[in-house]
Amino acid sequence: MDTLHYLGQGFGVALSPNNLLTALAGTTIGTIVGLLPGLGPINGVALLIPVAFALGLPPETALILLAAVYLGCEYGGRISSILLNIPGEASAVMTTLDGYPLARQGKAGIALSISAWSSFIGGFIATVGVVIFAPLLATWAVSFGPAEYFMLMVFATACLAGMAGDKPVKTAVAVLIGLMLSCVGIDANSGVYRFTFGSLGLSDGIQFVVLVLGLFSISEILTLLERTHHGQKAIKASGRMLFNAKEGASVFATNLRSGVLGFVFGILPGAGATLASAMAYMTEKRLASKDNRFGNGDLRGLAAPETANSASACGSMVPMLTLGVPGSGTTAVMMGALTLYNITPGPLLFQNQPDLVWGLIASLFIANVILIVMNVPMIKVFTRVLEVPNWTLVPAIAIITSIGVYAVHATTFDLFLMIGIGVFGYILRKLDFPLSGVLLGFILGGLMESNLRRALSISNGDLSVLWSSPISMTLWALVAFIVALPFWRAWRARKRTPALQPDA
Amino acid sequence: MYQRLFTGFLLVACAVLGWMAWGLEAPFSYEPVGPRAYPLLLLGLMAAGALLLFIKPALEGGDSAEAPLPPIMIPKLLLCLALLLALAALFERLGFVLSSIAFAYGMCRLFGGRNLQAIVVAVVLGLGLYFLFDRILDVPLPLGVLAALEN
Repeated sequence: MDTLHYLGQGFGVALSPNNLLTALAGTTIGTIVGLLPGLGPINGVALLIPVAFALGLPPETALILLAAVYLGCEYGGRISSILLNIPGEASAVMTTLDGYPLARQGKAGIALSISAWSSFIGGFIATVGVVIFAPLLATWAVSFGPAEYFMLMVFATACLAGMAGDKPVKTAVAVLIGLMLSCVGIDANSGVYRFTFGSLGLSDGIQFVVLVLGLFSISEILTLLERTHHGQKAIKASGRMLFNAKEGASVFATNLRSGVLGFVFGILPGAGATLASAMAYMTEKRLASKDNRFGNGDLRGLAAPETANSASACGSMVPMLTLGVPGSGTTAVMMGALTLYNITPGPLLFQNQPDLVWGLIASLFIANVILIVMNVPMIKVFTRVLEVPNWTLVPAIAIITSIGVYAVHATTFDLFLMIGIGVFGYILRKLDFPLSGVLLGFILGGLMESNLRRALSISNGDLSVLWSSPISMTLWALVAFIVALPFWRAWRARKRTPALQPDA
Repeated sequence: MYQRLFTGFLLVACAVLGWMAWGLEAPFSYEPVGPRAYPLLLLGLMAAGALLLFIKPALEGGDSAEAPLPPIMIPKLLLCLALLLALAALFERLGFVLSSIAFAYGMCRLFGGRNLQAIVVAVVLGLGLYFLFDRILDVPLPLGVLAALEN
């Protein structure tokens, strides 16, 4: 019953007037960031970190703000998917498949309200999951030593590549680029300058706000150049705005299944909301009876991805809080924010900072409620935002991004570095290398190296320390399995294709 | 084609960085692993991946994975880049307000806004964001040449 006691304490933190106001502001900003094509949760969260710092917010309030933005983005992404057929962010791609046809049939209001409801259920299921599993995982993870930690991070990065589906090598290279970027700067153990090219600005490493905003905002701006249209024609949401009991009941089973599935995918490092929503959609499509209308405006096809992406957003808090390994790109950014506050996420967080952890978990519940209450009546306001043309939006994004980067160190060197990283990110994106891999590699890099070196210091250089405990051996087995997965998939695909194309 | 160019570039970068990393020696050390082993391990793995993609680009999409870039985009991209660099260069010298007004005007025109629209957007953004961030949100921004106007 300790959990309930702590949860109550967490609600005490989250319900303080300041934090409540923060959650309200965060969810509003998040919804707007999420619905604008070109801005996703990663940029939104990264942009707010310098502001949270400048305002002198205490760490728990800052974390509540970032989590509210993250959850708000998963809600907001659906609006442009349904009304414009353009996903507001990556994890809302599947929402377009059935959401847009529904809007064209004049059911935009129903589609919007039922998807908001689905997001709510997904978020709720996953937050309950966080309450149950996070403390368990944390007590177990306290026994991890540096060797186990190192293996855990190897597993997290391997997961990312193994789950990437059709491009494991590209993902692996992207992760390695991220890991290399984290080596830049003074080596903490020996004081040696690594890869600084004699530049003073690089001597304390690349600031992660600079990396995130360069990689995601600047490269996005360059990509948006290809779409210089004047505003967008959104379908007007008219008619009945609320779904009725029958429609709600018809998707309830889907909600429950997709919520659990999204939570599980959220916990797995590197899998994230995009994969979760795709998997939920596929599963529901397979489970549906033959006369389904998936792809032509089936309510279940709308509910499944929306439930899953909210659930996975909440679920990805579990590995970040308990293990210090982010479960998604956005939680990676949140982890970076915590390290700016000199807080290292990990199992000890539950013992040393219960207010922070449980305040965050309670605020997930609260943000979820705010979002569903806000989303139904305010939908008209949010659709207005979609009418802002790119020629206003893009300069604003670019200037706010520059302010965010400048605010970290007040040097223009960081601005140039951000542009350089942005161009590099644009090239990677054009060549289909996943940017989230670079980000996760960069965030994990420092921890990975210091844990490896600590482990080897303890064993006095004996490499066998890396596979001497049962936990690390299990992790090695999992890594081997994950690495083998793409090869097995390729082999299976090759076996199948000759039957289809005999002469290929 | 571009993919091969990029993976080739990555291979060269791995070699150069590897050569640099080889020279990393700690003057004195209390631990068995120095500062160079870990970067060398990463570079080795990265080179292996890049080599695989260099030899067999078709393995993961190849040319079909590249989003096509219409030739008309290239001057636009370069212009956008020049504007970003100009903002970075003038940020402190000219001050936030003036440099962002100039930058926003350019970006607005680049993204298809008309002259008058661009002027309005630029002035509103430059002044509005300055007051929002510097005055309300406590993020200090440089005033530059406008500093003389203050007080």
